[in-house]
Amino acid sequence: MRSWLTLAVIAPLLAALPLVGNNYALRLATTVFMYSVMAQSWNFIGGLAGYPSFATAAFFGLGAYASAILQNHGVPMVPAWACAGVAALLFAAFLGGAILHLRGHYFAIASLIVAEMLREIVNTLPDFTGGGKGMNLPLLKLSVTAQAQFFFYAMLALAVLTVATAIVLQRSKLGFGLRCIQQNESAADIIGINSYAYKTAGFCLSAVFVGVAGAIYASWVNYIDPPDVFDVLISVKPMVMVLLGGLGTIFGPPLGAVVLLLLEEVVWRNFLTMHVAALGVIIVVLVLFLPHGLLALIRERFPTKAMAN
Amino acid sequence: MIYLQIAANGLVLGGLYACIAVGFSLVWGVLNVINILHGSFIVLGSYVAYFAYVHLGIHPFISIVIAGGVLYALGYLVQAGIINRVVTAPVLITLTLTFGLDLILNNAMLVAFTADYRGISLAHPLGSLEIGPVFLPGDRVAAMALAILLTILLYRLLRDSSIGRAIIAVRMDREAAALMGVDVKRIIFPISPLNGPVFLGKAFVVCVLGGLGSVPGALAGGLLLGVIESFTSYWLGPERAVTVSFALLLVLLFVRPSGLMGRRGYE
Amino acid sequence: MLTSFLLRGLAVGTVVATAFGSPAAAQDVIKIGAPLPLTGPLAPEGLKQKRGYDLWAETANAKGGIKADGKTYTVEIVYTDYASNTPRAVQAAERLITEDKVNFLFAPFGSGATKAASAISEKYQIPMLAASASSAEIFNQGFKYIFSTLTGNETVSVPIAKLVAAKNKDIKRVAVLARNDLFPLAVAQEFEKAVKAEGMEVVASERYAIGTMDHSAAITQMRAARPDWFYASGYINDLILIRKQMADLGLRAPIITLIAGPAYAEFAKTVGPLAENVTSMSWWHPAVRYKGKDVFGSTEAFNAAWEKKYGGEADYIDASATADGAVLQLAIEAAGTIDPVKVRDALAALDVETFYGRVKFSSGGQIQTLQPPIFQLVDGKPVLLWPDALKAGDLKFMPK
Repeated sequence: MRSWLTLAVIAPLLAALPLVGNNYALRLATTVFMYSVMAQSWNFIGGLAGYPSFATAAFFGLGAYASAILQNHGVPMVPAWACAGVAALLFAAFLGGAILHLRGHYFAIASLIVAEMLREIVNTLPDFTGGGKGMNLPLLKLSVTAQAQFFFYAMLALAVLTVATAIVLQRSKLGFGLRCIQQNESAADIIGINSYAYKTAGFCLSAVFVGVAGAIYASWVNYIDPPDVFDVLISVKPMVMVLLGGLGTIFGPPLGAVVLLLLEEVVWRNFLTMHVAALGVIIVVLVLFLPHGLLALIRERFPTKAMAN
Repeated sequence: MIYLQIAANGLVLGGLYACIAVGFSLVWGVLNVINILHGSFIVLGSYVAYFAYVHLGIHPFISIVIAGGVLYALGYLVQAGIINRVVTAPVLITLTLTFGLDLILNNAMLVAFTADYRGISLAHPLGSLEIGPVFLPGDRVAAMALAILLTILLYRLLRDSSIGRAIIAVRMDREAAALMGVDVKRIIFPISPLNGPVFLGKAFVVCVLGGLGSVPGALAGGLLLGVIESFTSYWLGPERAVTVSFALLLVLLFVRPSGLMGRRGYE
Repeated sequence: MLTSFLLRGLAVGTVVATAFGSPAAAQDVIKIGAPLPLTGPLAPEGLKQKRGYDLWAETANAKGGIKADGKTYTVEIVYTDYASNTPRAVQAAERLITEDKVNFLFAPFGSGATKAASAISEKYQIPMLAASASSAEIFNQGFKYIFSTLTGNETVSVPIAKLVAAKNKDIKRVAVLARNDLFPLAVAQEFEKAVKAEGMEVVASERYAIGTMDHSAAITQMRAARPDWFYASGYINDLILIRKQMADLGLRAPIITLIAGPAYAEFAKTVGPLAENVTSMSWWHPAVRYKGKDVFGSTEAFNAAWEKKYGGEADYIDASATADGAVLQLAIEAAGTIDPVKVRDALAALDVETFYGRVKFSSGGQIQTLQPPIFQLVDGKPVLLWPDALKAGDLKFMPK
């Protein structure tokens, strides 16, 4: 209940941002929502079930390309986004069947390679995807500000939907099962949880929203090419955000997304050629000194009954 | 006849991959840590050898010792000072930590050395060996032989040491990472901090192919990957070589996750 | 809470940036935003562009700044690093316009990122000058605010095909190895078209992935095809590796053409004797001689300024970046104002001589009046073969 309440307070506040912020603030906020979707999605498989998935970039790129190809064949934008989500979901179901029996590092590597492979496949199908030359998407006939607001609200809606899913999941049998799998997969099997089905469901959930986010992103920037949408950082950043916010929590991933983006932005503006290293320092400090995330820190300071679960 | 040349290319390339992967495999196998820093360590080793050649005139085959020493010291510091603090933590933590360290090291090298590609033109290049219709690049083969020799030495050391395999391995791992990569690269590639991620990617694939924590596995995996890439490039075009090797890897993970020669229990 | 947090964070960022940013008085400064890849895979190229911009800004300021609107402006370039990541380049362009309030933009590196960023300059109606973008895909979008000082990819493909065909009728079999990336792929395709138009045959044509560490399979295959002419496109690191592996694997051809690495001095330095007789084309070369109305006045003066500041010679990316600044300055002076829309119109109407060559843009914004020279490396130094006005030597063929 508390979670729903928090969401109900924050979402309208965020929706009012276009009243006060300029286009660049909107761009940053849109990026935060996109990060938040990716972090929250990764949390379904990585945080709850404890499977370190590097497949986020694969789903993101797949969504972006699926939507771009459909739109270039005349499908309207919003249905194309939905199709991208479905494509990512089906791909995750298929992929999950193939690699979810792996654990730990092996799973991490298999999921990492999937993104690399998709990128190479896209690269080698120039007739279909433009190959290394990338792909253009139809330009929207809207003013600069209207476009910025449109994509802001689209990404916000997706982020809210993802958080809502997380809240529902937290209390559902699926959420419980995924947490059991993280604790002890063999034991989960013994108490009657079909861990394979649960993991696959978690993996699919971690794909569908990211696929849509990729599709929205592609429409937002108008031009995509393989190295950008299959970038390994797209897989790594959500993990950092979740670690930053709090593993396996509901509001940890969005919090992590906000904090990471702000850190990135401040560092980026102030260190012309050393901003990557500064980000590295942040990550190292985070892992060494704050392994349970910011939410845990907040909870230690302000322990309440409702938050304690 | 062209198949002989393609196979030779594959083996030479594979030897290179094996050298890149062996240290990485040891760290992973022994410590259960995926060392994302590996690629940057190799590049750093290359720079040590580059500066030793350009400024001090030390031949790359000799400066391997210096590069090994420098990297050993650095590896030891990183290992003892940072990684040991989380060495028993879940995969996610160690991965993220070494990723962060890699961002720092790579950026530092970029600022210190600039991103310009550098290479050593040996005063007396070894040229190419022509055996019938097959060409073998001299410096590549020599570097590879040297690196494999060192690998075998290291392997014997790990196996036969009376102090105990585990302890030595834990101390030696960084050195292994450095030592193996160093020499080969600097002669063959234009070096730049930008190469780090490419080396890392190959190391991943080789380790899974060959199996973790196994020196012979890394050698076999490397050679195999080289040959596979060489033949698929020839048959399907170079742009597809990577895709095919990845696909094979996924299939292998599906049917035999411990790799061709890996010990079970690491997955 | 999140909203205020976000805005507060941004405010902090902005304040800090301003505090470190502009030393001069805020008025009477023309700010030009330059998103560049200063880290990541494209860092070497980004640094080249930066050197070019810096030389122009320094020279322009030293010669009394830019006069417009009845005032004298000094030039300030606001750099930002986009870490070789295209989405970041787009974000950087928007940040420079909306947050740093730049008056004009210099484009990111390369055709891909420039194309992506051109959507932003178009949206905000800020003229953007590109130093390293040549692919037609950018200039047929119907955009009005993007201008480039590199000619189309066909201008670095067709002349060399014609020259070789005219010099030696025995060159028939051509092998092409291209990097699978926007510019290298496009230029290689133009090259294939050009040699076919000369009646030659493309006997092998392969593409390699970005980040390829080994070309032995492709080179072996091409050796079997016995080409008279070997052509490869890519960036300098790719081409160094390709040239070395060709030697390792015994691939010889009477003509070896590599685009676009040999234009950089580092190429000959790194591959040593293997650089000998390699041919290439580049958009500009320090041996050209033009008199101009720009801030440098002549190619010689530009070369001298370059030598003084950086040592050595400028390559085409360096010069193109400096030319972007010089051309922008001419357009501002012609418009008499720094109003972006009027400067855009002045750029579109420009037809002027500069140290870099004559500058006149097509309706899509690409320079039309540049004649990229053909050169061959002899004793590690480039010798110009074409155009005839600059000719310093004859095309040499290597033994097969």
